[in-house]
Amino acid sequence: MSFLTPAFFVGLLAIGIPILVHLTQKEKKTIIDFPSLMFLRKIPYTSVRRRSIRDIWLLLLRIAAVLLMVLAFSRPWFSTSSLAAKLPGSTREVVVLLDRSASMGYGDRWAKARTEAKKVIDGLGGQDKATLVLFGSSAEENVRGTQDKVRLSQAVDAAKVGAQATRFGPALRLAQSILAQSAMPRREVVLVSDFQKIGWEKQEDIHLPEGATLRPISVATGETADAAVTALTFVRNQFSGQDRVTATAGIVNRSAKPIVDLPVTLEIDGHVVDTKKVSAAAGATVSVSFVEFTVAEANVRGKVTAGTSTSDTWGADNAFFFVLSPGRPVSVLIVQPDQADRDASLYLATALGIGEAPKFEVETIAASKLSGAQVEKRAVVILNDVATLPPGSADVLKRFVERGGGLLVGAATNAKWSETEQAALMPGVLGGPVDRPSGRVGALGYLDYSHPVFELFRTPRAGSFSGVHFFRYRTLDPKTHRVLARFDDGAAAMVERKIGGGRVLAWSTSLDSSWNDLAVKPAFLPFMRQVATFLSAFQNSDAWQVAGRALDLTSRVQASAAVTADTAAAAKAAGQAAAPMRQKIDGTVLTPSGERASLTDNGRPAFVELGEQGFYTVRLAGEKDAAKPLTVAVNIDPSETDLAPMDPVEFVAKVTGRADAANESKDKPPSDVTPAEAERRQGVWWYLLLLGAGVLVLEAWLANRLSKGPGVIRAT
Amino acid sequence: MQTGAIPGARFVDPSVLARIGKLDLLARTVVDGFINGLHRAPFFGASIDFAEHRGYVPGDDIRRVDWKVFGRTDRFYIKQYEADTNTNFSVLLDVSKSMSFGTGALTKLEYGSYLAACMGYMAQSQRDRVGIITFDSQIVDHVPPSAKHFNVMLHTLDKARPGRPGDFCPPVSKAAEFFKRRGFVAIISDLYDDPGKILDAVKPLHHLGNDLLVFHVLDKAELEFTYTDASRFRDLETDEELPIVPESLTPEYKKLMAAHIEALRSKFSEGRIDYTVVDTSQPLDQALFRYLATREKMSRVR
Repeated sequence: MSFLTPAFFVGLLAIGIPILVHLTQKEKKTIIDFPSLMFLRKIPYTSVRRRSIRDIWLLLLRIAAVLLMVLAFSRPWFSTSSLAAKLPGSTREVVVLLDRSASMGYGDRWAKARTEAKKVIDGLGGQDKATLVLFGSSAEENVRGTQDKVRLSQAVDAAKVGAQATRFGPALRLAQSILAQSAMPRREVVLVSDFQKIGWEKQEDIHLPEGATLRPISVATGETADAAVTALTFVRNQFSGQDRVTATAGIVNRSAKPIVDLPVTLEIDGHVVDTKKVSAAAGATVSVSFVEFTVAEANVRGKVTAGTSTSDTWGADNAFFFVLSPGRPVSVLIVQPDQADRDASLYLATALGIGEAPKFEVETIAASKLSGAQVEKRAVVILNDVATLPPGSADVLKRFVERGGGLLVGAATNAKWSETEQAALMPGVLGGPVDRPSGRVGALGYLDYSHPVFELFRTPRAGSFSGVHFFRYRTLDPKTHRVLARFDDGAAAMVERKIGGGRVLAWSTSLDSSWNDLAVKPAFLPFMRQVATFLSAFQNSDAWQVAGRALDLTSRVQASAAVTADTAAAAKAAGQAAAPMRQKIDGTVLTPSGERASLTDNGRPAFVELGEQGFYTVRLAGEKDAAKPLTVAVNIDPSETDLAPMDPVEFVAKVTGRADAANESKDKPPSDVTPAEAERRQGVWWYLLLLGAGVLVLEAWLANRLSKGPGVIRAT
Repeated sequence: MQTGAIPGARFVDPSVLARIGKLDLLARTVVDGFINGLHRAPFFGASIDFAEHRGYVPGDDIRRVDWKVFGRTDRFYIKQYEADTNTNFSVLLDVSKSMSFGTGALTKLEYGSYLAACMGYMAQSQRDRVGIITFDSQIVDHVPPSAKHFNVMLHTLDKARPGRPGDFCPPVSKAAEFFKRRGFVAIISDLYDDPGKILDAVKPLHHLGNDLLVFHVLDKAELEFTYTDASRFRDLETDEELPIVPESLTPEYKKLMAAHIEALRSKFSEGRIDYTVVDTSQPLDQALFRYLATREKMSRVR
């Protein structure tokens, strides 16, 4: 409860008036005649003047009247959780945001959080509706707008701590949208969390709806004692054609006491490779390097463990998982016209040959040599101004793209594709060459920076196409395909087409320096590498992922589905009996907790949410190497191990954006409360005023009665 | 209204007396009812009775020798009888301003007047000579005792008005000069003075052979100090004012008043003077009883 006009509390000083009146016993104006003051004069003065309170009940009534009046005029304001909830028309829409990030596993925070959430649920009125939102780095509605307390409580009981980092933004935005749709007169967000500092970013754009309040409930403990593995780096060396890897782990001591001789262990595929002992001062970070180990095959599982699972209060951040595979280059096939110079693809091959991550393995062949075998193990095929495709090559390339391969078509002087070939592969319809007027060369006028190819060039000084001159280009009608770049006259420069699991990019000018000078500009190298990287669907094979991210398996699932379809078609062609009809499943995902999820090529993106800490195993039907399936290591966000909390009041101030809003939800009426709501919340002052008036009437009656009592003397 | 165990006491209730205008009627009403109510009391028997025998001494009247006793014992004994005698009855009534105080039906002066009238009526009925002296700081009126002065006494009582501040000792000491013959003296006053001085003033009267009966007349408010509101109190005699918070000082006032009464009782007891505190809210019977008891003692001479 708070007060709208607390200045009226000065009126409490008025309580002193009745006390003084009752204490001083003001002399009556009438003078009482008495036979003799002989004895009264003998009584000591102090005794005569001694004061004591009389008519205590009358005094109490007067004090009560003053108190009630002052209370009424100070306009009591009830917060959402107090008496206001009991006033008529006080139905609430409550969104309970329950933090289930990894840090909630520290000590008894999770138990406390569930208890607090249940308290909020128990405190709901009969007509109140509540939504339970569980959040970490992302937020999800667990139970949507219900009055069923039992269901809400069961959902809280069923909730588990996740491995995600703490991010308040998504949860608050979800609460914002839920409350925005609510027609309830009172709307409240209750945030139960440990309020980690790292969970709030400065530029979160949260605007709770008008009248909505935010009530923080913190379950953070004071001092935290924890050691965590927060980083892991690898140094690879080639030895006898195999990768030799040296792992270095970073250990952070989050406690206020030093760590002495903490055992840190490296495991590879379940076998302990090395154990080191580390010591760290309070709050310090130390690194420890392990002995070299060989990565001979793909998806080798590793784990670094600091201490034991029971050696500190929070064991989840003591383990760090990773997956390593031998480094393999991305294979790129450049196909150029038969009659072309040997150096026709020089710029292209040179640009791709430079650099690591990914490393491109480039092979250049003549168009006549293009075949299925050539394309088989390639990730990207570049048709550099190929005049016509050899017979059957269009189908080969189409299947290649459908299986996830990437195709770049550079169209310049020679390209003369048939309509069928263009329809099968080209993103759009290729037209004749366009010469720019002399003295006024062309330039790129539009780039789609949202596309991965050009995303790199979004920021200033990241490579500019403004200085690139285009002298000639082929017209390219994109039809319905996505245009990634246009010339300054509006003609399409680069168009993307998606076929199956792969993509085709068409570049409507030359890939060498004949029709433009891009090849000799600084932007050429990163541009070509970006194109090849995008087409190869190269994903930097991170040794680990952070919990909360999604793993995009769309291209892999589609490729797997294509392989399965080919196999079935081949079997049918060979006259074999068709397999019995079953539900079509193109892959399964095994989570660290042992749960299985199916992956199906139904035309939608196939994402796997990495919500748990540990190893995710992905098995695809079309993959040949089934012994070593794709494995993804998932770790807790290293920033999540920083348990430093922030002041919940400060947090509320940050969210609401007002410095004086820190106590808004419980003490001050928010300025954005509707007038009707504000009036209802402070309506109790009327009752106080009426009660005060009633007390005054009672006081008048009692005073009148007392004044008629004994003590009236007739003086003659 | 029944105010006591004694029949007829209703006739002397102050609230009834206040409605009777004439003092003689009042006195007659009170005393007749009072006496009638006492007819059955054993205290009042024959007026002349045998008292005791004593040995004959030369000079005694031989007619009073009890010959029957001489026949039995061969010794002369004289028979002694108790016999009524006429005496002087005087009232000393305080008419100072403090006597004008009263919170009930009667002021102290009115109550004292009624008491004096009643006692005068009874004395006159017994053929005693009645007189009265009213005083404040001086003697105001003096009516010498006479068998014919009852009406003068009533007139004096009727015209008595509290006018001046009182001073008990000088007029009482001076009044002693008016008493040439032994008699019965009733003093009616509120006795606002030092007990020692009061006794000193009264002693000359006692030394003259008078039987003294002191009626200390006080209002209920003086005895119990029933005030509650803080007020300014004004002394009726000196007009001095004093701010008083009754609540805090009532206990001490009552203590002082009780000590004053106790001191007076003690002093008068030492001086063998009868002392009675009279509450004006109470009927007159207590005071009249005291008078009759004392008068009865006096009437038995041998």
